[in-house]
Amino acid sequence: MTSKSLGAKILAISILLGLTIIYLLPIYVMVATSLKTPEEISQGQYLLPTGTPQWSNYTEVLFGSTRFRSEMITRLKNSIVISFSVTALAAFFGGLSGYYLSRNKSIFSRSLFVLVGIGLYLPYQVVIIPLSILMSKTGLNQSYAGLIMSYLILNMPLATVLLGTFFLGIPKELEEAALVDGASKIQIFFRIVVPISLPAYASVAIIVFTQVWNEFFLALTLSSRNTQTVQVIMAEAKGTTLVLYNLQMAAALIAVSIPLFFFFFLSRYFVRGILAGALKGG
Amino acid sequence: MAKRNKKRKSNIERMTWHENLVFLGPLLFFLALLYGTLMWTIYVSFTDWHTMAPNYELAGLKWYQFLIKQPRFHIDIINNLKWLLLGVIPTATVAIFLAYFLELSPFPRLESYTRTLILYPVAMSFIVTGTIWSWMYQPDNGVINTLLRGLGLKGDFAFLINPKTATYWLILIFVWQYLGFAVIIIQSSFRTTELQEMIEAATVDGAGRLRILFVIILPNIKAGLLILVSLLLISTLKVFDIVFITTNGGPGISTDVLALNMWMTTFQQHLVSAGAGLGVIIFLVSFILVIPYTIYALRKWFND
Repeated sequence: MTSKSLGAKILAISILLGLTIIYLLPIYVMVATSLKTPEEISQGQYLLPTGTPQWSNYTEVLFGSTRFRSEMITRLKNSIVISFSVTALAAFFGGLSGYYLSRNKSIFSRSLFVLVGIGLYLPYQVVIIPLSILMSKTGLNQSYAGLIMSYLILNMPLATVLLGTFFLGIPKELEEAALVDGASKIQIFFRIVVPISLPAYASVAIIVFTQVWNEFFLALTLSSRNTQTVQVIMAEAKGTTLVLYNLQMAAALIAVSIPLFFFFFLSRYFVRGILAGALKGG
Repeated sequence: MAKRNKKRKSNIERMTWHENLVFLGPLLFFLALLYGTLMWTIYVSFTDWHTMAPNYELAGLKWYQFLIKQPRFHIDIINNLKWLLLGVIPTATVAIFLAYFLELSPFPRLESYTRTLILYPVAMSFIVTGTIWSWMYQPDNGVINTLLRGLGLKGDFAFLINPKTATYWLILIFVWQYLGFAVIIIQSSFRTTELQEMIEAATVDGAGRLRILFVIILPNIKAGLLILVSLLLISTLKVFDIVFITTNGGPGISTDVLALNMWMTTFQQHLVSAGAGLGVIIFLVSFILVIPYTIYALRKWFND
């Protein structure tokens, strides 16, 4: 049911053009500014692709310099370790509990589902004080374990519901047949259910990874010098020192590179993941 | 035969003690921590903890009363209301029209281009978008004013400097970031066979496009709208990152929001009980906001 009239075409072209400008401009600005000198920026010369690209801005941001004291490379490593660990553990544990909730309709299971559902939208502000006490009491705030643990607590409900939703759609006949053959539930889960659910695991992994990578409130409060994530260092660079905009934009580009890579190259799983994330339980 | 079937069905549901532990152990462990910390925060909000050192002596509603009298809390409520209204209604409305536009577009080949174009910001953090948009909004030689001057216009927008309008510019960043996400949720609820058939039939009957949108499509995508609106409500209620990175609540406290107040009260002023109280308030409001959605999800999960 597409429109073919001239008026409709003009309208469509103007909407598409408008969206293109609104959505490409910030990205263009980020890339263009990140390659400029401070002089070009103060003279308002940073929007045109003129001048020599300052690739050294990126090495400054990655490895530190007098203009950018907080080198990004160690924070990239921190973010990578934390995000990948949380993703793997949340997918593994969330799969187990999601399977239970999808196969068991008892009152107990229903009540658990409600508890999980409330956990899905829990504002971090209501758990942050005890978490920070626990982390500093146990000394976990000095290591990755503290942040990984905290993120797991908050991402388990999401992984559980997303994977459970997928398991609901798997016909039970296969599992019933295996049961008759004497397989245990654990065997059934790992040998039958998990292998056919790998696409769902991929989607869940991408959404959990992106969420943890981009998370700021918890990272700001719970991370120490050794575990700071890229988001925290960006906020620090912007807030405390007079970091130049070209370096800020280079840092921004480095910080979004990994999630954007997933978005463009695994877009099918990515879109499925955020859609499932939104349509949880539906 | 019937008896046998019944027995099998209960077999797939019934688990041994050991199996229960494997499947549910991790979830129960993390849920215990989640709800344990939640209860702990609620308890702290009723204590008298207002220095670096913990104090678990009960003080009743003392710190809630403190919050109610605090002018900053009133500014937060107004700002959070602005976020709720302007972050949700325009985003959802534009998303509906845009999703419909993509369905009707005379250039169907551009559909995936448009989707990618408006969707990529969901992969970025608010910290990154906040950083970029701070530069867009920078009044002296920032992007938008420079562009306007380049076009021969005045280009003297104050953006985040003007305390009266700063919050609106912040909300615009949020709308920019969430629009694509909203569009794909609406799009996916458009694409049911029943709805497509109804639209087909109405088109054959000669109904206008807008009429189809309001009379046929909107009443039939209620579930999608419920999900979208709930998600946007929660996100705007919890908003923290954008404000922290762009204005940090300023100028003055004109762009302050509940979540930012909570963080500063707790971790900078060490009025921990008051901070816990703010956390509890945010939690209660978000809890109420997601009730309709949770009921919907629960029904869907256990009845399908």
